[in-house]
Amino acid sequence: MSDALPVIEVRDLHKSFDGVEVLKGVDFNVERGQIISIIGSSGSGKSTLLRCMNWLEQPDGGSIRVVGDLVGVRSDGKTPMSEKELAALRARMAMVFQSFNLWPHLSVLQNVTEAPIHVQGVGKDKAVSQAEEWLKRVGMLVKKDAYPYTLSGGQKQRVAIARALAMNPEVILFDEPTSALDPELVGEVQDVIGELAADNFTMVIVTHEMDFARTISHEVVFIDKGVIVEQAAPEKFFGDPDTERLRQFVGKYR
Amino acid sequence: MNWQDWLTVWVNIDRVALGFGTTVLFFTVGTVTAFIGGCLLVYLMEGQPNFLKRSLRSALDLLRTLPFLIVLYLLYYGLPQLGIRLSAWSAGMIALSAYHASYYAEILRGARVALPQGQMESAKAHGFTPFKMYYRILLPQMVLRSGPLFGNQLVGCLKDTAFLSIITIFELTAAANDLQQVHFIPMQAFIVVIALYWCISLILEKALRSMGSYAKHRGLSYE
Amino acid sequence: MDLNAWTTLFEGAWITLWISGVSIALGIVAGFGVAVLRNAGIPFISRALYYYISIIRATPMVTLVLFLFVTAPLLPIDIDRWIVAVVALTINTTAFNAEIWRSALATFPREQVEAAKAAGMTRRLMLRRIMLPQMVVTSLPGLVNEMSLLIKSSPAIAMVGLADLTRATNRITAITYEPLPPILAAAVLYILMIGALVRLQRIADKYARRLAM
Repeated sequence: MSDALPVIEVRDLHKSFDGVEVLKGVDFNVERGQIISIIGSSGSGKSTLLRCMNWLEQPDGGSIRVVGDLVGVRSDGKTPMSEKELAALRARMAMVFQSFNLWPHLSVLQNVTEAPIHVQGVGKDKAVSQAEEWLKRVGMLVKKDAYPYTLSGGQKQRVAIARALAMNPEVILFDEPTSALDPELVGEVQDVIGELAADNFTMVIVTHEMDFARTISHEVVFIDKGVIVEQAAPEKFFGDPDTERLRQFVGKYR
Repeated sequence: MNWQDWLTVWVNIDRVALGFGTTVLFFTVGTVTAFIGGCLLVYLMEGQPNFLKRSLRSALDLLRTLPFLIVLYLLYYGLPQLGIRLSAWSAGMIALSAYHASYYAEILRGARVALPQGQMESAKAHGFTPFKMYYRILLPQMVLRSGPLFGNQLVGCLKDTAFLSIITIFELTAAANDLQQVHFIPMQAFIVVIALYWCISLILEKALRSMGSYAKHRGLSYE
Repeated sequence: MDLNAWTTLFEGAWITLWISGVSIALGIVAGFGVAVLRNAGIPFISRALYYYISIIRATPMVTLVLFLFVTAPLLPIDIDRWIVAVVALTINTTAFNAEIWRSALATFPREQVEAAKAAGMTRRLMLRRIMLPQMVVTSLPGLVNEMSLLIKSSPAIAMVGLADLTRATNRITAITYEPLPPILAAAVLYILMIGALVRLQRIADKYARRLAM
């Protein structure tokens, strides 16, 4: 066991929007090399939980640590991080979005090298060769000079994944990576994520796709109405859930 | 800056009022005439394109690439060489109306192109003559669709009235200049005048907004 | 119109062009600065800028130029006429450009900003590498339109004695007593200048639409 520290440690997380409490005290860990899927119905708080991890949403209470370092506030637990500190922390994580969010004025290759060069200070040549490696992994090397508007949804998402990988992150956060894709394109993205799973990346995936979660995850988390109801390995989660609520949820799926 | 200078402005408020009134007069008459002119021009360009219509369109396009002052100069300084002598007031009125009519025509033309074909067909089917159809069916919609663009035009017309001071018309800017030359109060005179221009534009903005919400209320605007 | 007249005319055109050019360049950059500053939400500054934009957009160019010209002597230093002209034109065009940039900032897709944040970019880096390149393209049609509006209001600088293209016609008429030819010639020159900008605007429009995909 190399790292004793969990990659992500969430403690008693609270978040409200417009007076409505969306996260009501969430505790949860992600160990290195783990793949955790978060499942829940719309409005359960799953996306909010993910987006708090890199401070895209600011929690109202509780704490989040990435490899031991507090996210969003300094080590005293209270002073908000400066923009620079926050950016530096985010550069250690990566996120893949539901609507891909590629930068349209940059080519595929440029999208992937942008953060390594301008955020992490990697030399241009090194960044390009690494980017090409990742693009090859996701099967998009042949399109490296193409612009996003020429790509299909599945292709864009694969580029987004390469962009995330190129940052050599401690953890990759996936926010419903296949929800915006046409059904026939979902497979190609799931395959790519599946391959990465074999490489020991630490991943947190918010998804609707139950089969996918079942196949790929080490653990699955069920979040409902702002609390984690159950967390278990896939066989137990889908095969023999402990809680009634999860039974209902999985039952409907079956 | 002392209060006496401001008092001087107040004492001479009649000059300012004269300038203000002149500006408002030119602005109102100019805008109304320009708007009506614009509607007429678009009507003339309606229908199948022919040489005359295309020429008219080109002429209007050309007019819009000229500075207002040059148009004013053409009418006031240029025409006399051809024997037509216009007074400053006539030249000013005609220049404002004609110049801004070309802009209104362009705005309305843009709205016209966006109107669905169905409107015209149902009007024809109900026996509307071309003029009536234009006046009662097409025009109201064109006007309402162009709402925000009119705001810009109105303020533009207001600002162009200031050029009239160059051909000796005693409007608001001329009043400011007059005041500061005679009484040596450059800051105060112009600050008051700029504030007055600003007030007029705020009133125009408000008026347009209430017209806009009236249109929305009647379901007439297309979001 | 003889050679002298044409020379005067072209000299006037040159003055119009370079004073407008400098003001346009300054105004685009300043307008961007104002828009970013307003966006930063600093309470007093945002308010002040709001009023600046509102008042200047309603002020005729003639009035603004005159105002600056007659109040310039109150300053401790001597100011050349052409500086007054450039300052006036710039103050005016900045207000309009600020609105154009503001709209581009406000409509910039949030998702790209989130991806940039998630990749560890600071606001400054994001603005420079991701937002500005795209905002320039989407703002271009509006900015070019404002350029032609600036040239159309530039004759106001004749009020302070600068021999621009419009004033040149007065000077020629004073000698030849034939006002029509120089005015028509000036009109043609203005049409050429502004016509070029109109064409530029159409090209910019096409570019902007392509990026909007």
